[in-house]
This record gives sequence, structure tokens and C-alpha cells, in this order.
Amino acid sequence: MVDNITPDETLDCRGLSCPMPILKTKKTIGKMSSGQILEVFSTDPGTKNDLPAFAKRTGHEYLGEKDDEGFTRFFIKVK
Amino acid sequence: MSENRESSVLGGILARGYSRIFFENWPMWVGGVLIGIMSVVTFAWARPWGVAGGLRNWGDWFFSVVGIYHHKPLSPVVSTNSILTFGLLWGAFVASLLSKQFSIRMAPPLELLKGIVGGIFMGVGAAMAGGCNVGGFYSALSALSFSAIAMMIGLLIGAFLGLKYLYWELEHLPSRPTGGTRASEHKEGFNWVQIEPYVGAFALLAALICAFMYNTQAYTRVGGLLLCGVAFGIIIQRTRFCFVRAFRDPFMTGEGEVARAICVSLFISILGFAALKWTGLRGESVYVSQAFWFGGLVGGIIFGIGMVVAGGCGSGSVWRAGEGQVKLMLAVICFALTTSLFKAFIKSSKGLTALMGHRVFLPDYITYKWTITGLLLFLFVYYLLATWNEETEKFTVEM
Repeated sequence: MVDNITPDETLDCRGLSCPMPILKTKKTIGKMSSGQILEVFSTDPGTKNDLPAFAKRTGHEYLGEKDDEGFTRFFIKVK
Repeated sequence: MSENRESSVLGGILARGYSRIFFENWPMWVGGVLIGIMSVVTFAWARPWGVAGGLRNWGDWFFSVVGIYHHKPLSPVVSTNSILTFGLLWGAFVASLLSKQFSIRMAPPLELLKGIVGGIFMGVGAAMAGGCNVGGFYSALSALSFSAIAMMIGLLIGAFLGLKYLYWELEHLPSRPTGGTRASEHKEGFNWVQIEPYVGAFALLAALICAFMYNTQAYTRVGGLLLCGVAFGIIIQRTRFCFVRAFRDPFMTGEGEVARAICVSLFISILGFAALKWTGLRGESVYVSQAFWFGGLVGGIIFGIGMVVAGGCGSGSVWRAGEGQVKLMLAVICFALTTSLFKAFIKSSKGLTALMGHRVFLPDYITYKWTITGLLLFLFVYYLLATWNEETEKFTVEM
């Protein structure tokens, strides 16, 4: 399902640990417009819990995640 | 034939159970409840749970070996402080292997620097407050020490200041990502991740053997504490239980889940500690440190800044180090060295020691009955506030 997504923006948080991926996501989403899709790269295992929870709390749509080599891609649709 | 079927059914049950425990997320409140229970079990077995004391013991030991300290500290092999913290590290290592999450995670230079600076701040703060977020706050509040409340206020202020720094950094110091390489991943076609659970099971077995050996050497208490530490490590790694989030997230995203989990946890822990102390089974002064109010409050502020900058508190830095995060390994090392030095510095001066404050054991002032009632009410109000803030975001600080 997440294979066919073309993101409008990509945020690379590889190597960063909690809470930086969430803070950077929050900041990037603030600059994007409604309906756009953000892709986040992260290596922090915590992001798998934190990002969906963050999206749920803030009302953005969490589209899913996909494991890549040594990191994970996360997709969020801006509300 | 049917025997085969039965064994495959059993295999299926075991496989599902394993995946439930090690591949799926545990709810945060389950972590809170389990930590509360383990906290009481640990105190009933020998002593309250702490993290910074172990780090200090390692720091003391290091400075004694290199010849800076002239007195010899208790050996890290038998010090209960050291064993608990070592167990936490070991347990987190085991759990991250069993869940295939262990890997040496390098961080960009700025992040490594934050680990070092955060570790130094935490070392100073913990020396002042009589412990980290665990020994100075969690176990201290369970032990009915009033300095825990001073440290809690300090931690909230410190977390707020630390978050202000993170916001500033986000605007002014963009840190470059490291890219997707894992240092532990060799490219020769050897799939390290697949064998992680076996290494994890072996490491767990090694911890059990160690505890057994302590037992045969008449150090049964120490061996038991090693297992308590391992249990804390596994619980905390699997729930990704993070005290920092309880203090930081209400300001950052408004999230109150961890704050509530800690309230639930403290409910259990306070009742257990109160029972053990009130009945005289454990000494009343245990974990009531001379930190009310200056040491607790100011130490809490410094510690709070440090934990937000490092991205891990006392327990949080240790379990993330066990998971392979290089930034938090640096934080743990700097924490251990600084807290040893700063504690020695405080102890060297009567004036400084007095400045940190007094022991305030609440039941001495307002009886056990009202202490327990008051603390549980206090936690209930904190629980409500965290939830209320989740809805209204009244305390949330904008970037």
C-alpha cells in the first residue's frame, strides 16, 4: 500500500534519536500544505511508536511505514 | 500423526507468544504497572531501585583505578548499586536482541556532543538531588521522601528549559543525518539480525548463571538484584518507557500517556513501600536523602535540562545504551564520571553538604495515613492535569 506513494517532501532523520525525529516532523509539517505527503527516514526504533501516535494526536493521516536497508520510511498525509 | 499436530499447535502458541512479547508494542501503562510491581519486589528483596548510584560506583571505581581517588570504592561486582544498573543495561541488551532491535547506532557529531553535555548535566544534577529521576524522584517518592517533590518540580522546569533549547537548535543548528548505514551490519551476506534472538537468549541465560553463581558464593542478595535489574531492563526496553517523556511531552506535543503511566506506577510503588516501611520490615530512612529542598529542586532543574538534551534520563540513557545507541553510551559514561566527581566535591565541603538540604520523611511530620492519602491525591491531580492538557494543550509550548 505504501509502495505507490510519491511524497511531496522527504525528511531525513537517520541517526537522530528521540525526540528529534518527532520535532523535525512537527516543524516540517508546519511548512507544508493540506493534502501533501511527507516521507520521514528514521533509524530510531522509537519512531515506530511515536510517529503514528503523533499523527493520531495531531489529526494528520498516518499512511504507513516500510523497512528499507538499515532504516524505515514513514508516510504522513498533512491534514 | 496427532502427536505431530499437537506439537505444531504448541509450537504455534509459543511462536505467537514470542512475537507478542518481543515484536509487538506493549502499551505504556503496562510498563508503568510492571515497573511499579518490580519496584516493590526489589525493595522487599533488598533495597529500592536506583540507577545513578550504580553509575557513581563505576565512576568512583574508574577514578580509583587511575589513581585520582585514594580510597577504594566498593567493588562494582558486589556493590548493589552497581549490580542493579548493570542488570538494567544487560536486560535492555537482552530485550533488544530478542526483539531484533539491537544495532550500533551512530549519531551525527552534534548529537554526540549533546549526549556528552547532557550526561555531564545529569551527573551534576543527580549528585545534588541524591539520585537521578529514579533514585531522586521515583524511588524517593515511593520512599515517602519530600525531596522527591522538590526534584519533580525541578525536573518539570528543567524539561521546559531543555525543550526551549531543542527548539532553538532546530532553528539555528541543522544537524546532518548520518545516512542509512548501521555500523554493526557487515556486507558480506551474513545476516546478523536473524541470529540476534539466539544471542539474546544466550545473554539471558548468562545472567541467570551469574545470579546462580552469586548464590553459591553467599551473595544471594546481589544475585537477586542482578535479576531485578535485568527485569527492569526488559520491561523498560519493550515498553520504551521513558521518564523524560513524562516531563517533556506535556510541553512538547501535549502527549500525557507517559505521565499517566508514571502516576499509575507510583500508585503501586508508594503503597508497597509504605507497607514495607510502616510495618517496620524496612528502615524508615531508606532513600530519604538530604536533598530538601535546594539539592532536589536545583539538582532537578540541572538534571531535567540534561535529560532532554541527551534524550534519555538515568534509566533511559542506560537502556538506550544497551540497545546500541552511541549517543546515549557517551551520555552514560559522562554521567558516571561527572556524578562521581561532583558527589566527591559536595562531600568535601560541610557547607555544600548542608546547602543541599535536609532529610524530610513525610510520615514524621504528617503521619503515614496522611502522607499516603496526600501523595495518592497529588498523583491523581497530576494524572488529571496531564489528561486535561492533552485535550486543551494549555501547557504546550509552540516552536
